[in-house]
Amino acid sequence: MAILTALPTRVLKLHPTRCTGCLRCEIACSYAQTGTFQPAKSVIRVSPFEGHTSYAPYTCTQCAEGWCMTACPVGAITINAAGAKDVVDDKCVGCKLCTIACPYGTMFYDTDTRKAFKCNLCGGDPACADACPTAAITYEDVATADWLADFANERGLPLLSGAMDGAR
Amino acid sequence: MPARHLIIGGGTAGINAIRTIREEEGDKSQITLVSAERPYSRMVLPYYLDRSISESHVFTATASVLAGWQVVTHLGRRATTLDVKANTCTIDDGTTIEYDDCLIATGSSAVRAPVPGADGSGVHSFWTMEQARGVIAQVQPGTHVVMVGAGFISFTILNSILALGAKLTIVEIAPRILPRMVDDTGAQLVQQWLEKHGVTVRTGSAVTAVEDARGKKRLRFKSGGDIVADVVIMATGIRTNLEWLKDSGVKINRGIVVDDQLRSNVQNVYAAGDVAEGKDMVTGEGAVHAIEPTAQEHGRVVGANMAGKSVRYRGSLLANIVEVCHLDCASFGAWEDAKAQAISGLRKDRPAYRKFLFQGDRMTGAIILGPSSDIWTTNDVGMLKGLVQSRVALGPWKTHLEKNPFDIKPAYIGARATGTLLPETVLGRPSKAPGDTPVAV
Repeated sequence: MAILTALPTRVLKLHPTRCTGCLRCEIACSYAQTGTFQPAKSVIRVSPFEGHTSYAPYTCTQCAEGWCMTACPVGAITINAAGAKDVVDDKCVGCKLCTIACPYGTMFYDTDTRKAFKCNLCGGDPACADACPTAAITYEDVATADWLADFANERGLPLLSGAMDGAR
Repeated sequence: MPARHLIIGGGTAGINAIRTIREEEGDKSQITLVSAERPYSRMVLPYYLDRSISESHVFTATASVLAGWQVVTHLGRRATTLDVKANTCTIDDGTTIEYDDCLIATGSSAVRAPVPGADGSGVHSFWTMEQARGVIAQVQPGTHVVMVGAGFISFTILNSILALGAKLTIVEIAPRILPRMVDDTGAQLVQQWLEKHGVTVRTGSAVTAVEDARGKKRLRFKSGGDIVADVVIMATGIRTNLEWLKDSGVKINRGIVVDDQLRSNVQNVYAAGDVAEGKDMVTGEGAVHAIEPTAQEHGRVVGANMAGKSVRYRGSLLANIVEVCHLDCASFGAWEDAKAQAISGLRKDRPAYRKFLFQGDRMTGAIILGPSSDIWTTNDVGMLKGLVQSRVALGPWKTHLEKNPFDIKPAYIGARATGTLLPETVLGRPSKAPGDTPVAV
């Protein structure tokens, strides 16, 4: 039996300084995941920074613990061929334990199907990375990491400290 | 001789321990499971109640899974005595089992209000599979169900009862609902929401008796005002199943007192889940966290340690979530700490509430309420968990949360919660997928 323990060899690398906030990743993701062009069902989310002058995408890190996977009481989250943690719809009952287990806020819950869903790297061909026109999302053979913290501090802190007030 | 592991209790903690033993040491040890019931997940019983899943979906480690793991089972049996000097356990059919190490994971049982008639026919608990079957047989469209107790257990089955078309009344002895999950403001918001959805809520009402009334049940109250119901569900708390260990020499306080490897005062006797009093990761104090995530993490840590690893548990995080008619309510950590600094945000226009508790610039507890249809509610639930779990220094980002309690993400990212959490694993290694436990058959 193949033992699915390996971390994914390729992950989504996020380059926030390249993001223009166009939301093509969200549209592509929702289409790949649900068959509808509905950013509300995208599992990659673009957020504004620096008072809506900068944007950055955010999604599941495919972490080593797999908090969602270990928390699931019915074994409905497994590791797919791309090494991504993936929800098996037939098994998920919608109890939301994964949503309080994942400390990254990257679990989602579909109120229509009453099931949890998340980034599964599209099985190895992530639609978000394909769709991004500025290569702000790339699918690379690197270790997963915190791609956004430096950016958030560089862009967000001046606003927070009031240092931007004089520039307005 | 191969090591002989004895697991007492086939709930979440016990089954996670067995799976982890097999992950760590393959099939070279002997595992014996004593369990009063066939292993199943209590968490999913509400979905069985509303018939959205079949009964077979509830069972976790089926006979074939247990056979694959090469587990010797004593199902439908309870442990009666533990002899920690002889390293033996006797069960209720008289069998004595020898062990090298043993896990006590006997969980808890539902308790009913100590009033006349509480054990009568038509009065149910909803805790075990058998009790769930009893409730399912009774609830039809139009049935008037009265739930006594407005705590977590009631709230997990509330949606299911409404989905079955029943009429629901909740009575609670305390002045407010969900006393152990959200604060007064949160409870008030949930109560208003429930009433808006047609549920009758009576707080501050002490049941004094449950009587038969021509095929129905009549509940009497201290303050008067009888209620007549078709079905009564008593969700008035749980009690740990530890009576059988009274004279065993295993040290019990509120639960079995365990160290950071989850060993009791007897080195080869471990405890996990509802019966264990282990470290609370936020307060550092001993606590019984009778919740699914603690049972799961405890079970895995014990399994690894039984397999000869030396895994130290960082402590468990109190975490609860319940959905009430499409309103998500969750709380984390020391949300009730009166000494902590608190920041809160309440929306007048929609059911949304947040409260964050801090020690300095680190978040130590949180409450969040919001519509399930709001994606940000679900994402924020997770980020709050991450902030409390990591207790990262928020620095200037705390100011952002003070000004914008509904905009958690920039603070979460700016405080470097992701980078702090990424190296964290419960067992010190990447987790394995369910169903991929290696056993040579």
